[in-house]
Amino acid sequence: MWIERKALAAEIPAAAALETRQLCELLAALGFPVDGVAAREGAEVLDVDITANRGDAMSHRGMAREVAAKLQQPLAPLAPPPVTEGAPRVQVRLESPACPLYATALLSLGEGTTPLETQAFLRALEASPKHLPAVDASNDLLHRYGHPTHAFDADRIRGAVSIRQAKAGEALVTLDGVARTLAAEDLVIADEAGPIALAGVMGGEGTKVTESTRRVLLESAWFEPKSVKATARRHSLHTDASHRFGRGADPAMAAVARDLLVHRLQSWAGATLEGAWTVGGLPPVPAPVSVPETLLTRVAGEARPLAEGVEALRRLGCAVETQPGTLVVQPPSWRHDLAIPEDLAEEVLRLRGYEHIPSVLPPLEGPPLPLAAEYLQRQAVARRLAHLGFHQTVTYGFISPDADAAFAVAGNPAEGRTLLNPLGQEYSVMRGTLLSSLRSAAEQNLRQGAREIRLFELAPTYTSGPQGPAEQFTLGLVWGGTLGGEDYLNPARPVREADLSGMARDLGLARLPEVRALGEGLFGFELPVADLPQAGARIIPTFRAFSRFPSVERDLSLLVDLGQSHETLTAAMRAVLPAGILQDLRCVDVFRHKSLPEGSQAWLMRLRFQADRTLVGDEVDGWVASALAAAEALGAKLRA
Amino acid sequence: MDHLLPTEIIEAGRAFPEALAACGDLDALLRLKGAYVGRDGSHAARLMELLKTAPKEQKRDLGAAINGLKQQWEEGLKVRQAELEAAKKHLNALADRWDPSLPPPVPARGALHPLNRLMDRLVEVFRPLGFHVEEGPEVETEAHNFDGLNIPEDHPAKASSDTFYLAAHPALLLRTHTSPVQVRTLLRVAPQLAAGGGIRFLAPGRVYRKDEIDPTHSPMFHQVEGMLVGRGIGMQHLKGTLEYALRALFGPHTEIRLRPSYFPFVEPGCEVDVSCPLCEAKGCRVCKGSGWVEILGAGLIHPNVLRYAGIDPAEWSGWAFGMGVERMAMMLSQTPDLRLFFENDQRFLNTMGGLD
Repeated sequence: MWIERKALAAEIPAAAALETRQLCELLAALGFPVDGVAAREGAEVLDVDITANRGDAMSHRGMAREVAAKLQQPLAPLAPPPVTEGAPRVQVRLESPACPLYATALLSLGEGTTPLETQAFLRALEASPKHLPAVDASNDLLHRYGHPTHAFDADRIRGAVSIRQAKAGEALVTLDGVARTLAAEDLVIADEAGPIALAGVMGGEGTKVTESTRRVLLESAWFEPKSVKATARRHSLHTDASHRFGRGADPAMAAVARDLLVHRLQSWAGATLEGAWTVGGLPPVPAPVSVPETLLTRVAGEARPLAEGVEALRRLGCAVETQPGTLVVQPPSWRHDLAIPEDLAEEVLRLRGYEHIPSVLPPLEGPPLPLAAEYLQRQAVARRLAHLGFHQTVTYGFISPDADAAFAVAGNPAEGRTLLNPLGQEYSVMRGTLLSSLRSAAEQNLRQGAREIRLFELAPTYTSGPQGPAEQFTLGLVWGGTLGGEDYLNPARPVREADLSGMARDLGLARLPEVRALGEGLFGFELPVADLPQAGARIIPTFRAFSRFPSVERDLSLLVDLGQSHETLTAAMRAVLPAGILQDLRCVDVFRHKSLPEGSQAWLMRLRFQADRTLVGDEVDGWVASALAAAEALGAKLRA
Repeated sequence: MDHLLPTEIIEAGRAFPEALAACGDLDALLRLKGAYVGRDGSHAARLMELLKTAPKEQKRDLGAAINGLKQQWEEGLKVRQAELEAAKKHLNALADRWDPSLPPPVPARGALHPLNRLMDRLVEVFRPLGFHVEEGPEVETEAHNFDGLNIPEDHPAKASSDTFYLAAHPALLLRTHTSPVQVRTLLRVAPQLAAGGGIRFLAPGRVYRKDEIDPTHSPMFHQVEGMLVGRGIGMQHLKGTLEYALRALFGPHTEIRLRPSYFPFVEPGCEVDVSCPLCEAKGCRVCKGSGWVEILGAGLIHPNVLRYAGIDPAEWSGWAFGMGVERMAMMLSQTPDLRLFFENDQRFLNTMGGLD
């Protein structure tokens, strides 16, 4: 909201002495940060950020009240004397509890226009003047005092005015030219022909003030915030008036604003007052709030004298009585946000300044709870994969139905995971798989010229169920592109599906997940994090004995068929070797060359033995011979 | 003497020095040796055959000539062998010499995502103060996301224009903040609170709001919330904790500033600023010259939030805070565009996050 400095100083003269920076700091300390300062129409204007609970602060007068309370300086008095009320000139009927109070006046307009100073003021606030005194004066009041008012062309009103709920289906063309169909929940101002305004939101086109308007009927009412907010939302019609009524206007200001409006029209446009009257009365005042001293202490962060609370709350317009250890507080009519003791304790602290809160660490009341095993497990897996050269990704939880269908498992219908109101089709399904997102990220990297892609993500995937989507943290991993080739010891080769199996083994998986081809030379798998081995449960792992005697290593160069399964061969060899002594059996080299017999390849198998004693050459030879025999039984031959 | 030998052998004898010199390696030398002095079929062998059939009177001279030639060849071969062996040894010595300036093979480098790193770091920072981690689902009920947090029916965040709902389950939505974790945790611990003497935890996670994707907005982003409930907990404990944590995060000289603000689930509420960690509060682009950067929202837990969970606000009080992870990561890393965090370009990830 824009605040003009000169207009602020008109309400709180002490503010004039402050430099702009001081004023901004003071407002920020009160909870009204200034987002920017601009110079317009020869005036300095501040863009003040006002929180949703402070409808009372949405005006120069409201802001001035805050500054005055903080500076402990008086506000300027509201200038004009009250207008004398008389008998109603137009019948006004209050037919809904959402409008308990309706102050109005009927005036004949004379000659004259909006003063230049007011026009400049409105322009400085980015509110364009209409050069219609009744409209501009209402606008001027809104910005200065925060109370929305409205002027109807009185000659276009037919019969009595009622403030009532709309009849479902009733129509109204609002001032913005839009024809609106009303709902029964909408509160309207109506004449005998139908609705003439959406109460607290916007006037109607049919009764608007124009250059030919001769007589105006002024409206200065108080509407229930809930009703106004709901109507504004229903019609997507967020106006200056609906913002203020929706956040709670000051009911005591209704008649005052009407009087101010009358005075302006008399002085600007030579208007003649035909009559002023009020229908209804102030809404009931909420019960006073008791604020215990202990709460004041807790909120302030330290014990403070009770008198400080009394003083601060009175400066904010509250009526305060003291009882032993308690303040009994009646908030002012403009502060709808002060409803519970905590609200009032906050006000005392706010006026004192948050900078005075002491800084104290909370006492530890017991041993801290451990971190959950699954959380630790995810962290451990992520770090493990990063150490293995994988990059962790973060992708959106919602994807397109097609992307979801590409990898989601059967029996997980997308309908149960579909958003009602997505940003677009491509973000409409809560994903049942991570692989589509990872594939997109991988393809994007390949397009950007990456040689090798190693990506993973740890994020929830969703499974449709009768109660809604069930979530489980899932690990997804992709690997693709060209492996190696970037140093002279590791020749380049394409990533193979088998590389992912190796990765799965490295993660300690008992069962290899299904490796999926995600595209040319791009492979991936995914599995629930719960299926990964647990980590981090033990601070110190269990000791496993190891031999201090030297190990013996033997290589067997075997000629095997191209179709030979490595797993079968090693299983057969293992079966004949002493389990406790064989430490390792692996293929360390694969040689395929035309010099080898057709249909065969050479595998260099390395066997490592170790025991709790020094091994003797003969026994090792015996084992190697047995292993060879087992291999030969499968058709392998010792390579010459 | 030559007249005693056949012409082809005389020719071979003449060609020998050249052939010997042409032997570039030991294998070639071995072949030459076979051709000249080998057991079968060599020049020397054929000469020996010749000797068997020669007339008796010539045998002596012929034998001397053959032996002389053979000896000549053998010596030549021996000398050349020594030369070649020396050369090979030299080459081997060169081959064994390692050039330390050659680039060593480096294992492939991966990285944790910068948003995850920052969240992990926050957990590390709060861990010594006794905080653990609580998590909750991303698809939430309206009750957990709004009602339990004292968010009124007409709050803008409840509107379908701000929030994603599930088509098949209209009462379910994608959580708009990590605060439902607070509600779930309070509901769970409420019965044991008195025995345990309070609770303190962080809730890191992903949240969703209906924002279009642009350099500063994303429909999915991350938050870390913290909550502490105990007896006699006040604003001083909030300030003390945040001062400790933000100094651990940004450096020991970091100052913090609390400003009044409004959130429905806390009372009083505040915005928390830190002295700009990038310019040490001298004023820069990041802090817009003010020396301060807004970092999180916080406050004392609204009594209605405690009541919703069945906790008596007269006995228990506490505080909560929440921060946007992307915002903080962007500020700390000076990343200009939020979308980079979700594009997952390996170059970006490498730049942003090695392992600690």
